Amino acid sequence: MIRLSSFPLTSLVLPILFFCCFWGDAQKVSSQSLLDELGQEELMVRPVSSTFKDTRIINVQSNETPGANVLHFVIAHRFGQINEGAYALWGLDNASMRMAFDYGITDRLCFGIARSTYQKTFEGSLKWRALRQNTDNSIPFSITLYSVSMANGLRWSDPNRENNFRHRLSYTHQAIITKKWGQKLSLALIPSITHRNLVESLSDSHDQWTLGGGGRYKVSNRASINLEYHYLLAGLPDASVNSLSIGMDIETGGHVFQLHMTNSQGMFERAFLTETNGTWKDGAVFFGFNLSRVFDF
Amino acid sequence: MTREGSVRFYSSTPIEDIEAVNGQVTGLITDEGEFAFRVPILAFRFEKALMEEHFNENYLESTMYPNGSFEGRIADWNQGLKDGMWHDVTATGTLNIHGVEQPRTIPSKLKWSDDAWAIESNFQIAPADHNISIPKLVRNKIAETLDVSIQAILNPR
Repeated sequence: MIRLSSFPLTSLVLPILFFCCFWGDAQKVSSQSLLDELGQEELMVRPVSSTFKDTRIINVQSNETPGANVLHFVIAHRFGQINEGAYALWGLDNASMRMAFDYGITDRLCFGIARSTYQKTFEGSLKWRALRQNTDNSIPFSITLYSVSMANGLRWSDPNRENNFRHRLSYTHQAIITKKWGQKLSLALIPSITHRNLVESLSDSHDQWTLGGGGRYKVSNRASINLEYHYLLAGLPDASVNSLSIGMDIETGGHVFQLHMTNSQGMFERAFLTETNGTWKDGAVFFGFNLSRVFDF
Repeated sequence: MTREGSVRFYSSTPIEDIEAVNGQVTGLITDEGEFAFRVPILAFRFEKALMEEHFNENYLESTMYPNGSFEGRIADWNQGLKDGMWHDVTATGTLNIHGVEQPRTIPSKLKWSDDAWAIESNFQIAPADHNISIPKLVRNKIAETLDVSIQAILNPR
């Protein structure tokens, strides 16, 4: 069941406002003398490029996909909670890892596989740029659709129960709506639904709804500050909290480094959308990074 | 106006060769030997999608500076050039790339055929001259000077 009645409106308004308050654009063109006679400049209409530096904002997918025939490899770490203190070197002693390969079939469609040490999870995903923002804003925003299936690889917690493979599976489907304003600012609005085949108890919902907001602001040609927030809408376990991450992208040729602090430990959608339980005010946050590299074929 | 024009540039280093082609050059030449070319930066096509993205986003900033241009006059202009043969000429003018203007003198070849000028030129551009900075980390992948070649057929104005 979806319950939409009980959530505080103010928290929901934030990601929407975040997205909407910058609508509108302006472009100027200048030309001179003999160049004027070349006729009216026809500004080329193309899809807007580099709305985000990488295929992820921090945890969540961005609108970007690898180009056709490009293999995009990401290795990501989340260290332990920083409030573990000096004994665990503020979390650095413990790391969970995720490895992912995404392959661009076309410039708009890619598939991916991934493995996380967190709950020994395998992922298979499809990502499609359904709509791409245009340089002349005739299409004012982009919509990318992302679907991922996640398989928990842990041993069964109760071997005596009837355990089927489908009980390991969960799915997340999301629409990533993005808009780039000028050269520096890009924002995203990301509604997601997560479905798990197996839940802890009869009273738990199989479907969880979240609404995310994200963005980046370029501080130089090769670096940006990123922010990401997911608001829990409905169907979530009581222990879950909203996921909030802040980070920085640094691009160096074919690599993108993303460094961040996040209260989510898991790096796949079900985990960071619906199973986040670290709280910022207690310092229960994780330092981590994503490192991506592209290979052309 | 140009009937057809293309420009390509080539960057060669021991680590990586980068080449881009742009078939959307427009240009004109007057009876007095004045000329203007315009090159839409977004129309450069690269072998790899990421190169094109970095070219536009990080180096040429093509949303801010959508066109490159070269405007000036043929220094040694005379009507005798119209004899249907290739002639070596010198184009003197202002090269504007990335919003930075540089005075340039570029040797070119010119030929009058039928009712249009064919023009060919090879020259070099240094990104640093146009305030295009290349970070240390990738400096060994991008040449300090790029070889540029342009070919166009221009209708006289």
